[in-house]
Amino acid sequence: MTEQAKPAVADSRQLSELYRMASVGRLTAKVVHEINTPIGSIRSNNEVLGRWLDTLSKLLADSIEKGTAPPAKAVDILDTLKSLAAVDKLACDRISSVIRGLKTFVRVNEGQLGRMDLNDLLRDTLKLAGCEYRRRISLVEDYGEIPEVECFPQLMSQVFLNLLVNAGQAIENEGTVTVKTSVEDACVHVAITDTGKGIAPEHRARIFSPGFTTKPVGEGTGLGLAITREIVVDTHLGTIDFDSVPGQGTTFHVRIPIEHPRSISKQS
Amino acid sequence: MAANAQPAVMIVDDEDMVITSVRAFLRLETEYHIFGFTKPEEAAQFLETNPVDVVVSDYLMPKMNGLQLLAKAKQFQPESARVLLTGHADKQSAIQAINEVGLYQYLEKPWDNQQLLLVIQSAIERTTLLRNLREKIVALDAAHSNLKEIQGKLLRAFL
Repeated sequence: MTEQAKPAVADSRQLSELYRMASVGRLTAKVVHEINTPIGSIRSNNEVLGRWLDTLSKLLADSIEKGTAPPAKAVDILDTLKSLAAVDKLACDRISSVIRGLKTFVRVNEGQLGRMDLNDLLRDTLKLAGCEYRRRISLVEDYGEIPEVECFPQLMSQVFLNLLVNAGQAIENEGTVTVKTSVEDACVHVAITDTGKGIAPEHRARIFSPGFTTKPVGEGTGLGLAITREIVVDTHLGTIDFDSVPGQGTTFHVRIPIEHPRSISKQS
Repeated sequence: MAANAQPAVMIVDDEDMVITSVRAFLRLETEYHIFGFTKPEEAAQFLETNPVDVVVSDYLMPKMNGLQLLAKAKQFQPESARVLLTGHADKQSAIQAINEVGLYQYLEKPWDNQQLLLVIQSAIERTTLLRNLREKIVALDAAHSNLKEIQGKLLRAFL
């Protein structure tokens, strides 16, 4: 465990923005992997399509000229090309979903208070966190009927990304991350549960302190949960707490008021 | 590869789309037998009893990564060629792959079909040569033993 010095940057909004970009940066290698696979398929399929469509045309032209049925090879090529077209669609869908997750983080016009469906925001953020999970982690998504909440969407997506990436990192090999939403009084309650190693009792009091991290140097900045707490509590006047059992896992509970108690922008 | 049989190529990737693409390409371009697996542990089990000429594997996969699978391939079929086809290209995994599993080629995604085909063709050729070499060594050993036996008989007959 290392406890780093409290950063000198005083402006929390600037710090939050820096952290936001850094967290996307850290995911880049995984995002590249996630995109390179479908791109590889599309590129390969495109080359096969180009080459074999010519052969298919010639075979069909021959059959028409001779007035015979198309040869078995033509049918074989046609079936193969059809299967490749289906793969291309899946590959494009995969790329789109990762890009959609990334876009959540680079929208420039959403630094303002607005109404947002947190279920949609969670789904988009999960596309990005999914790059970190790489199928070693099963996801359970249990979205309740919730109203749109008044929030800063970009900041809330940062909260969810931090908690989802932490949940994935808490699981050493295979496990499950569960995302659950519900209405609780005048708040939307988001619970993110992992089946990871849990938080040691001696660390619990400090996990929201800036600079505190249990991750190896270079992996954890010690800012993720501090910024998460600031966005939830200071910016949205919500609450964040957790239950944790060492060796069994952790649940983070985020509660965001449906109506922002003071509809003022962050600048004021 | 048995005499006169078509070469056998194993493709392992947890993404079905990669297997479909590579299989379609190889099916149209070659006469190879293609064995595709999305679960590396099933691929490892297959390798225990079924000879293949080349194993092309992804790196990042759940339960067993590409290096672990290729290590199994090396254990069960030391002569078959091992190729890593990965979107997770980092120096560390490349060095590890070359040193630990005697990698034949390290390819990155997105791949080029013609390059992949060339690698697979030369890998098959290498595997065939290694198998032929092993057969020749076995035949030489047998001939050597025969000679020794004959020599023994001759010595016994004349001395």
